[in-house]
Amino acid sequence: MERRNLLTAGTAAGLLAAAMATPAAAQGTAGSTAGGLSTLDRIQRNKKVAITAEVDSPPFGILDSDGKPDGSEIATARQLAKDLGVELEFVQVNATQRIPALLAGRVDIAISSLSITTERAKVAAFCAPHGALSIVVCGPKSSAIANAADMAGKRIALTRATLEEATVPKVAPPDTKLVYFDDIGPTIQALLSGQVDGAGMSAFAAKSVADRNPTAGIEVKFTVTTAYYSAMVRQADESLRHWIDTWVFVNSHNGVLAGIYEKYTGVKLPPLPAI
Amino acid sequence: MDYVFQFGAVWDHRWDLLDGAWLTLRLSGGAFVIGLWLAGMLAYARETAPSAVRIAIGAYTELMRNTPLLVQLFVLYFSLPSLGIRLDADAVALIGLTLNFAAYGGEILRGGMLSIPPGQIEAARALGLSRWHTFRHVVLLPALRVAYPALASQFVLMMLGSSVVSAISATDLTAITNTLQSTTFRSFEFYFTTTGIYLLMALLTRAILALGYQYLFPAARRNAPA
Amino acid sequence: MSRGFGWHELLYVLRGLGWTLALSAMALTAGGLGGLIIALARQSRARLLRIVAGGFILLLQGTPVLMQLFLAFYGLAVLTGFRMDPWPAVILAFTLYAAAFLGEIWQGAIEAVPRTQWEAAHALGLRRHVILLRVVAPQAVRLAIPPTVGFLVQLVKSTAVASIIGFVELTRAGQLMVNVTFQPMLIYPLVAMLYFVVCWPISLLASWLERRLDVGRRPVGRMLGGT
Repeated sequence: MERRNLLTAGTAAGLLAAAMATPAAAQGTAGSTAGGLSTLDRIQRNKKVAITAEVDSPPFGILDSDGKPDGSEIATARQLAKDLGVELEFVQVNATQRIPALLAGRVDIAISSLSITTERAKVAAFCAPHGALSIVVCGPKSSAIANAADMAGKRIALTRATLEEATVPKVAPPDTKLVYFDDIGPTIQALLSGQVDGAGMSAFAAKSVADRNPTAGIEVKFTVTTAYYSAMVRQADESLRHWIDTWVFVNSHNGVLAGIYEKYTGVKLPPLPAI
Repeated sequence: MDYVFQFGAVWDHRWDLLDGAWLTLRLSGGAFVIGLWLAGMLAYARETAPSAVRIAIGAYTELMRNTPLLVQLFVLYFSLPSLGIRLDADAVALIGLTLNFAAYGGEILRGGMLSIPPGQIEAARALGLSRWHTFRHVVLLPALRVAYPALASQFVLMMLGSSVVSAISATDLTAITNTLQSTTFRSFEFYFTTTGIYLLMALLTRAILALGYQYLFPAARRNAPA
Repeated sequence: MSRGFGWHELLYVLRGLGWTLALSAMALTAGGLGGLIIALARQSRARLLRIVAGGFILLLQGTPVLMQLFLAFYGLAVLTGFRMDPWPAVILAFTLYAAAFLGEIWQGAIEAVPRTQWEAAHALGLRRHVILLRVVAPQAVRLAIPPTVGFLVQLVKSTAVASIIGFVELTRAGQLMVNVTFQPMLIYPLVAMLYFVVCWPISLLASWLERRLDVGRRPVGRMLGGT
């Protein structure tokens, strides 16, 4: 009986190893298909583009009363698909899945308030920025956090794979208890249910949470950093990236991007630099 | 896109992963010990307490066994604060796993207890053994022997099921893996490795528990499946 | 202002329930087929087949469902260069999961049929696959029904894990509605109740079947606890 267990354990390990060995041989080409067709060509040929939809991240992506995606990044994606002249397929993702979904080929473009950082640029390519945000720490009035040092000994919620996850720990004192969630929704819930004393998120999200829950008395405590955000594509998809850069250029001058931004954030779009 | 597998990132963080494995073991172990004790109480009460208590225990058991652990954790972590009960994520994880395990453990122990022929109990009482002594030596210990394989199985199931505590931000192997993969973008490599770690933990604990069975119940007739 | 929990929100949650049921049904069907193959492979005279099937079961029973999902989700698209939508990845993961567990249950049921049945049939000159089909299978099916029904509960509950990768089944639908209405005290217990309403009758059915079919042996069914 012991030997049979060992044998089956060995087979299990073998199956795992085999699953691992196949990609070394078969190189998964999600970006370019056989025959050297670029992603942009493929999108235009199939008349379909797949874009991320983060629906748990106000005001960039939310669910409206019919359960359909809405928000500034959602609207941006819709406009982009329209101008590309193709059908749009939204792929719902949470915060941690935005870039992996792109890398794995589940989407062609990731448009989900992805702030421009050098870390992310190692694995995927940023297009020209089409928006700006700031990361803040927010909390109920009862939490006495006036600056980063006041976070000492407090519980602060952060969402994984976000700019706040990358920046807040750097300014937090060592005895801060940082608590991580996989999506912005649970982070907000933890804040509202009082499970944490504060949470890191974009200023827009904090405002959205505060507005929708006046009784909770959520207020911005201090700003951590500011950033521009843009669409992301896989590093190999250069023609697609150039197209999106051009699209951002055109639409930042005709007021379309500004219109979307202001509608959902209530703030004027700042001048956008080139990348 | 040519996806180049880079397990180097995983190797660099091997100690973090091992930390995570230890956290998972500790969490599951704690839930097992406390849950087993609770299960014993529940099984005993189910047989001896007044009917109102028995019905309550039955309802509790059915509720725990027919709703997902993940939802139970959400209720404990996100819903309870509205009633003023605020528990930290790791505490919720332990409590949630314990309550869940106790429900299954209670049923398993009860099954074990019911397998004791009533004649044994009557004989023990006739011989003058107290209720407590009878329960302990004639019912509980033989029941544990019968229930051991099922309880061991349940422990492994719970340990594997504990991976969902990461969704309420408790720290365990899955949570640590999630953080690592989201910062290095090596999702597949990390998930693959962590799956292997869980498999190893499952196999090891199963082997250790099997050895434990031989040690604790040497006179037992070994007809338990592998 | 956050939306109150009204009809729209309830409908959204119920639609999530629909997806939970759909996913469970598909995994049960496809997994059932897979489980049959596994169980038969375990009966095969070819040792390699038995070992591979055993390894498969061990792999899927010895790792968390959540990890299996993550691997299917992130791994498959990378491995095959195939653009996986969440839906097929989720179905694949749960199908394999169901196939492993059902395969083991059915293998156990086949093995629980007394050896004497095999021997007697063999003595009567029946060939191996005929014995399996005509003599053993009908008895094995009887033994297998209660734990199979019991596993269905396990399967439905396990689909909750799909919410973690964002698949909008019942749990995720509840989460999204909590984010919109900020009423966790109302919604999560409601979600739990909906699972209960689906799972409890099935559990009761499994118990009733076990008594009715007079299954003496315990291990195959009872050991399937699960979370």
